Amino acid sequence: MTDTAAATESTQPVAHRSRLQMTVSTVFRNRLAVSGLLVLAVLILVAIFAPWIAPYGVNELNVPSRLEGPSLAHPFGTDNLGRDVLSRVVVASRVSLQVGFIAVGIALALGVPVGLIAGYYGGRIDSILMRIMDVLFSVPAIVLAIAILATLGPGIFNAMIAIGIVYTPIFARITRGSVLSLREAVFVRAARSLGATDGRILGTHVLPNVIAPVIVQTSLSLAFAILAEAALSFLGLGVQPPDPAWGRMLSEGRGFFQQAPWMAIFPGLAILVTVMSFNFVGDGLRDALDPQQRSVIESRGVA
Amino acid sequence: MTDPILSVRDLRISFGSRQGRAHVVNGLSYDLAPGETLAIVGESGSGKSVSQMALMQLLPVPPARVEGEAIFEGRDLLSLDEKEIRKVRGNQIAMIFQDPMTSLNPVRTIGHQLLEPIELHLGLKGSAARERAVELLAMVGIPSPAKRLDEYPHQFSGGMRQRVVIAMGISCEPDILIADEATTALDVTTQAKIIEEISALQERLGMSLIWITHDLGVVAGIADRVVVLYGGQIMEQAPVDDLFEGRRHPYTRGLLASLPVPGDERPDKLSAISGLPPDPLALPPGCPFMPRCPHAEAVCRDRPELRAPVPSHRVACHFDPSDLYE
Repeated sequence: MTDTAAATESTQPVAHRSRLQMTVSTVFRNRLAVSGLLVLAVLILVAIFAPWIAPYGVNELNVPSRLEGPSLAHPFGTDNLGRDVLSRVVVASRVSLQVGFIAVGIALALGVPVGLIAGYYGGRIDSILMRIMDVLFSVPAIVLAIAILATLGPGIFNAMIAIGIVYTPIFARITRGSVLSLREAVFVRAARSLGATDGRILGTHVLPNVIAPVIVQTSLSLAFAILAEAALSFLGLGVQPPDPAWGRMLSEGRGFFQQAPWMAIFPGLAILVTVMSFNFVGDGLRDALDPQQRSVIESRGVA
Repeated sequence: MTDPILSVRDLRISFGSRQGRAHVVNGLSYDLAPGETLAIVGESGSGKSVSQMALMQLLPVPPARVEGEAIFEGRDLLSLDEKEIRKVRGNQIAMIFQDPMTSLNPVRTIGHQLLEPIELHLGLKGSAARERAVELLAMVGIPSPAKRLDEYPHQFSGGMRQRVVIAMGISCEPDILIADEATTALDVTTQAKIIEEISALQERLGMSLIWITHDLGVVAGIADRVVVLYGGQIMEQAPVDDLFEGRRHPYTRGLLASLPVPGDERPDKLSAISGLPPDPLALPPGCPFMPRCPHAEAVCRDRPELRAPVPSHRVACHFDPSDLYE
């Protein structure tokens, strides 16, 4: 880009669209991302209003009508104790989304600062922090989560912490990688030469420039966090009975798969739909914000 | 000469590397008078930029090692702690970088960035700060400044961006403005305009200007005094007219000879100084220019002192430059 006549420069019409507007319009042109967003919106509403939507109580036993197939009274059928599967799937959506958001929130809160500090200061701090991350990263995600839960004890809060820790290195790596190239950027040097503190430079100049890949990773990680929670609950390490969780319901339904396949199919579908929606939204965001990046998780094939 | 606003004495900068210590600046001393424009010229790697970055403690230490002193307002800039030097940066001494395309943050508006030094040093907030930002943009010649404040750098052309960068530099009315190749990335017409505007601002604000460049054309147009650096040492230091007309160091002469002359008989061929600049890892013990100097003799194996044949004109050469050329 060169300029010849300074006087005419400013009169050129320029598209006055902010980055946010451009991102939003790109995402909305992607049909999969839009359908993912719609499904997620419905899911979140269902989770919020679950107690009012669920036609029966989650632990309302009705042994005489156990293992009944889908009907008008029980659209998703009943389980081996006569509980309404629909009610349990609906209420369990709360747990899944909650675990997903909080676990990813933990991963973000730990990983992004680690990546910022490691990338910006470099040297020994970088080596120490990133070697710790590498150790976490070297253990397969689900095995690491199980190991953490074995130490902390099973339960939903511990599951959130475990999943959060498992995904921390991904955010740390993504953030650090972007920061490394920014650290030498002239505008960062310029900000220093104007008297800005390190904290200010990190907050106002570095962070906004690394946020795009982090946002993309967040939406993709949500899908995997929900999947991880389901896996942990399936193994009996997450949500404890009698509270409903999709993973638990799958494992409980396993034993009755011949007689009552609906016990496993509906929670399984719920997991599938939720995870796919998050993935579609994440892919859409990536196309809009960060076309070059390939997800770290994707190439790693976890959960 | 009035009391200098900045006195650099025996500045030495080296960088640790795997191959050993790279001595980039070796005993640099100069004074800067209030309101003066000092040009620092030299080839790439001659230590021009590094010597100025060091003044504001912008070099990473380690690997850099900075020795010597730089007295500004009675204090040694090189020994200020981080908090004190931060108050100097941007406020009393500001710097403009070479590349206007990358010296602005792409994701923040021009206004945000312009307000940063104002908020940091002047403590202005809200509408007062905004007013000041508009005033600054107008000062550097940006039309409809109030509107452009909310735009992003990609909506500005190179020349306009450099104007914004200059506005950031002068926002706190610094005593010294360091322009590090500030117009090198711009085309010639824009360059001329920017130089004109900086000179006008300098007069208006009474700043001293340190102009780092390898463009001797710019030097002739703007500078009061010139320091010629080679291998991190001063080869020659003189008022600008003396340098272009008077006696010269063989290196300065080589630099001037390598400029294309309009109407020259062989315009297709540019003359260059043969050889390469000295390796900072292995500086020659004598005159750093000796390996490339057409007049080198045995005596050049000893390092020449910076002598002053005329009080205002200092040359680091064993020979009297006028003897060499007449």
